[in-house]
Amino acid sequence: MAGGRFSLDLARPSRQHWLGYILLAPAVLLIAAIIIYPLFVSVDLSFQNVGIARLDQPRRPFTTANYERLFTSPDFWNACWVTLKLIVIVTSACCLLGLGTALLVNNRFKGRSLARLFVAMPWAVPEVIAVVIFAWIFDSSFGLMNWIFLSLGFIDKTINWFSDPTAAFAVVATTMVWKGYPFVSIMCLAGLQSIPDDYYAAARVDGANAWQRLIHITLPNLRPVLGVTTILVMLWIFRDFSIIYVLTGGGPLKATQTLSIMTYEQAFGFFRMGYASAIGVVTLIICVIAAKLMMSRAPENL
Amino acid sequence: MRQSPLARLFIYASVILTCAVLLFPIYWLVVTALSQPDQLRQLPPKFWPDEPRWSVFGKILEERPILLWLGNSALAALGAVTISMVVSVLAGYSLSRFRVRGGQSLGLFILTAKMLPATLLVIPLFGIFRMTGLIGSLWSIILAHATLIIPFTTWMLKGYFDTIPRELEQAAMVDGCSPWGALVRVILPVSAPGLAATALYGFVLSWSDYAYARTFLTNAQGNWTANLGITTMKGEYISNWADISAAAILVALPILAIYLFLERYLVGGLTAGSEK
Repeated sequence: MAGGRFSLDLARPSRQHWLGYILLAPAVLLIAAIIIYPLFVSVDLSFQNVGIARLDQPRRPFTTANYERLFTSPDFWNACWVTLKLIVIVTSACCLLGLGTALLVNNRFKGRSLARLFVAMPWAVPEVIAVVIFAWIFDSSFGLMNWIFLSLGFIDKTINWFSDPTAAFAVVATTMVWKGYPFVSIMCLAGLQSIPDDYYAAARVDGANAWQRLIHITLPNLRPVLGVTTILVMLWIFRDFSIIYVLTGGGPLKATQTLSIMTYEQAFGFFRMGYASAIGVVTLIICVIAAKLMMSRAPENL
Repeated sequence: MRQSPLARLFIYASVILTCAVLLFPIYWLVVTALSQPDQLRQLPPKFWPDEPRWSVFGKILEERPILLWLGNSALAALGAVTISMVVSVLAGYSLSRFRVRGGQSLGLFILTAKMLPATLLVIPLFGIFRMTGLIGSLWSIILAHATLIIPFTTWMLKGYFDTIPRELEQAAMVDGCSPWGALVRVILPVSAPGLAATALYGFVLSWSDYAYARTFLTNAQGNWTANLGITTMKGEYISNWADISAAAILVALPILAIYLFLERYLVGGLTAGSEK
């Protein structure tokens, strides 16, 4: 928390205090109306047998059936497993690629500001557009990827990317990595700027080579930034809806159905909003844990 | 430090190669849009069309209400950003300058809210908007996007106000300004770049949404946003990738332009508070 005491007490301190609450009020009221109240509704729905949420009708009797059904459902555990797989694979790829590109364009060369702009450009491509791009590249009949793989001799007949579970998962992961690495790159570049040049000068005097400088100076100094960034990337994958939903809809055979997709599918595909809310509540609990984790990693953020 | 020519050559080569590989998908989108549709069904693929079909953009604008979609997206983003900025400027300032009871827990809540999946809030919001008759209206996504934007903007603005020295307001108040006057006449003008960065970031958040638009607006064709419109094209037009790509370029252009010309502001917002 930056500066605990407010130093406005030059004027009338009692009024300052009061003004603080007034300024906060609109935000608190709006957040209460469009975030906190819906969260309560969500938790409430998860304990009822509800098809389509009708808030103007009396609430249904309390039941824990949604949760019982959830924890015994193989689909739920499958979704957990898919989510976990996706988080591990995409996060590691994003971090490696993001860190690599950041280190690369952090070198001194002419035109590096342009290179920095280009290297993180996928960040500015809306997710839905990224899906359009990759859906066409991985098209089963005339997509570029099949042609490249065939020409290189990796495969002898075209892969049907969207009907094979493993292939579809790979397409989703590829799209997410492409959309996700620039964020890591941008964050790492910002982090690299804050490492004092003196460290490198001193290391050079001591005869450290480029690799040693990377291992002993750059990476340790980047650790706080990388830690926060990694959590943010994981959460982004955990939350993501549009990439997977538009690309595969969670299929084939639920191979790309994450918890997010399952929640949506149950709510708006099968209209089981009570059940879907139960999945949502589980994701909420995971989010709270992640937020706590982030706070402990980056206490100076608050 | 001087680099040897060899080292410099190596750096240039790797930078160009990396950019070429990573940006290839964007290049491919452009090539696809400019190709004749039947050329796309030929192997080997052409890496630059024989006769670039620049007219495709005019054609797609005539055939599809893309301008309407873009207008809806812009309207929704404008509404959501305006609402969010008004409440976040006040809240961010309050969190930065005043000691408010519960401020710490509000901060923690906001941080958690930043992480909430849209798929969690979309269910209760659907119920609420159904009850209030907002389903199908742009107001539904304006409010839903505000749930995405407010946590970010409040957080970013608080961080930004923290970097502005308190002496500024103190000086203004010694000169007879009220605390409110100090905020409006001194702090806000000084924070203009931060406000711009924050609003821009909110705009990008709103523009990128698909989940809320898909849920609330699917049955209201006249209010479709750009992202929603594009996905419906992908669903129906399985074979005509040239047209979809052309439409996709038009939809991606605003954000890409913001990124290319105002990158400093966007990135400043993105990394605020995370480095140190």
